[in-house]
Amino acid sequence: MVALIVGLKWQLLKNGLRRSTPALVGLILGGLYGLGVLAVAVSGLIALRLAAPGEARNVVVIGGSLLMLGWAIFPVVAYGIDETLDPSRFATFAVPRRQLVPGLLVSSLVSIPAAVTVILGLATVITWSRSVLAILVAPVAAAVAVLTCVALSRVTSTAFSAMSRHRRGREAVSVLVLLLAAGFGVVGSSVMKRLSAPDLVSQVAAVLGWTPFGLAWSAPAEIAQGAIWSGLLRLALAVIVLLAALLAWDFLLRGALENPLGASGGGRSTRDTGLGWFGRMPATPAGAVAARSITSWLRDPRYISSVALMLLLPLGLLLPQLSGGSDLWSLAMAPTAGFLLGWSMHNDIAYDGTAFWAHVATGVSGRADRLGRLAPTAMAASVLLPGYASLGCALTGRWSLWPALFGVGLGFLLTGFGVASVMSALKPYPVPGPGENPFAAPPGSSALTVVVQAIAGTAVFLLNLPLLVIASGALMGHTWMGWLGLGLALCLGSAALVLGTWWGARIYERRTPELLADLTRIR
Amino acid sequence: MPSAGSSAALSLRGLSKTFGSTLAVDRLDLEVPRGSFFGFVGPNGAGKTTTLSMATGLLRPDTGTAHIMGHDVWSDTVRAKQLVGILPDGLRLFDRLTGLQLICYSGLLRGMDRDTVAERAHELLGALGLDQEAGTLVVDYSAGMTKKISLACALIHAPRLLVLDEPFESVDPISTSTIRQILEGYAASGGTVILSSHVMDLVQRLCDRVAIVAQGRIRAAGTLEEVRSGMTLEERFVQLIGGQTNVGEGLAWLRSSSG
Repeated sequence: MVALIVGLKWQLLKNGLRRSTPALVGLILGGLYGLGVLAVAVSGLIALRLAAPGEARNVVVIGGSLLMLGWAIFPVVAYGIDETLDPSRFATFAVPRRQLVPGLLVSSLVSIPAAVTVILGLATVITWSRSVLAILVAPVAAAVAVLTCVALSRVTSTAFSAMSRHRRGREAVSVLVLLLAAGFGVVGSSVMKRLSAPDLVSQVAAVLGWTPFGLAWSAPAEIAQGAIWSGLLRLALAVIVLLAALLAWDFLLRGALENPLGASGGGRSTRDTGLGWFGRMPATPAGAVAARSITSWLRDPRYISSVALMLLLPLGLLLPQLSGGSDLWSLAMAPTAGFLLGWSMHNDIAYDGTAFWAHVATGVSGRADRLGRLAPTAMAASVLLPGYASLGCALTGRWSLWPALFGVGLGFLLTGFGVASVMSALKPYPVPGPGENPFAAPPGSSALTVVVQAIAGTAVFLLNLPLLVIASGALMGHTWMGWLGLGLALCLGSAALVLGTWWGARIYERRTPELLADLTRIR
Repeated sequence: MPSAGSSAALSLRGLSKTFGSTLAVDRLDLEVPRGSFFGFVGPNGAGKTTTLSMATGLLRPDTGTAHIMGHDVWSDTVRAKQLVGILPDGLRLFDRLTGLQLICYSGLLRGMDRDTVAERAHELLGALGLDQEAGTLVVDYSAGMTKKISLACALIHAPRLLVLDEPFESVDPISTSTIRQILEGYAASGGTVILSSHVMDLVQRLCDRVAIVAQGRIRAAGTLEEVRSGMTLEERFVQLIGGQTNVGEGLAWLRSSSG
């Protein structure tokens, strides 16, 4: 049975590569990049053989713990990407669970991430080849660590796939994990920079060494440092962690196999008996498109996660200041937000998918379609642009720059709207479908995606070049140039918006059925 | 210009569509008289959905014309689209809206005023038995409920012609009966219905005119009596399309009589 399941996994991996030449080329390039990173990591681990044992422990334990944590949370962020061996698909075959569990576990090792983890685990054996006992313990500990990585990811993915029967639960968790990861990145990197004192790193490594994620990695380190009993104890505890993970998985698997479709219809979704935004926006076709867009932005995780990123990316500009660098970066927050909000609309129509037929069937005018779609970002921008401009001024203490900052943000936003109104009627490119993982890139789409994004971005940037020149004058201390910039942004932006929506509407009306055909094809 | 097709609810002339190297619809002509309940039947891949999409403005034909109540779908687009309500097959809905919101969206997109839209939406939800689910997101609807809400979206602007692609697919008997009653009432008051289906019995009971389509061409069209010529519609269909006759002769091991 184990051989059969592993064979199945191997076949799936091979068939996945057989799809198309561009996909294969992309995979090879990605693979070469990955191999490079892996080579650096492996040579680093080998080099650590010559470092002081304490230092080597810090690197291996912290890195190993992060790796294991990554294995544990990856299935949540990546749901829908690798369901090749979803346990509930075995439910209709009468496979005893006792044969299925080892089969699925071993088959999980047949994957590229698992191969990488195995190689890294083997490299730590070299790192710890400092005494006979360490050489004996290190391979065992590495094997336990690798198996625990895989088992933890199976626990998460099985628990998650049980929960995914409830649409809302799955979507909420996935967005939450993204936000946590982004927040962790922002906070973590600034903390690491400030507190890179060696004693703190040692303390972190010492604590991690006693957590389930670090036990297996720290066992050979302890022995190499001479703490034989501590090392053996950790190895024993690591084996217990592995067994616990396997038991938890087995338990969850029982649920997945006995109730493969899950309890459906349990959680009731939004019960909102009114018209919602359809009652608040003007009762015109453009108002209806606006109300529909706003409702989607609030309820569809694909939009929610892009809103979250648009909120967080400008905040990332605070990092240099937090880590003691220049505060000038914080001035770029409002312009960055304006650019992201305006530019991001250039593929809005693709998020409709084939639901766009409603616009085709009702013959809604191009103007109403173009203008209505801008409503959610326009609303977000009305809060974010003044907010980020004020934050930038407050952090630098240069309030005289406010009109320039807000002006550049507004210019980017409005010209972005204009460019996006034309682009999204011309060439929609593939995006994840509704209900799919918002972070999964549809395969084979990258070339078109990159070209369209680059054209839209370049167009917005070039249109705002005069504005940027004037704003840099304000930055050098000419306050009046800031006000001039704001005035120019209003004129330039409105012109771009009016022209863009007019031109976009014409293209839209000429191409309506072709747009639906495009959306059907890229679905 | 009122053409010969002005008396017909839908008139298709020489419609063709090629996808890559496959000819999906091949110079197809079809006349659907006003007030008829028209069944459009054919095997999988016969070109039913392609034809209905081209007839309603969702897909541009390679050649040929489509007229709805005498208005050219591809030149007098706005007028033609006002007269028709459609329920497509295999296309998504804006499923993050509640049922009520989705119906209202269809009405508001057509420029109707909000009070009329809200009033009609509530009436439609009541008639379709969906009033309990008006506030539920469409993504959480069952297949039958989704078909019913799509029908409501097609009806909100009181169209003169309804074009329904597989309206009964994966719909339970109770919802089927609800949809049937609404369609029969609509047809009785002078509306025209075109529906495509795989279920011959249903078409035979509901429709007064039928067309059988295969490989992108009409094989037979006319009143139900003319087309079925004494047989049941299903027998006539199999006779025209040429179904497999000796089904299952080789599957000896499947017969359990020996055991």
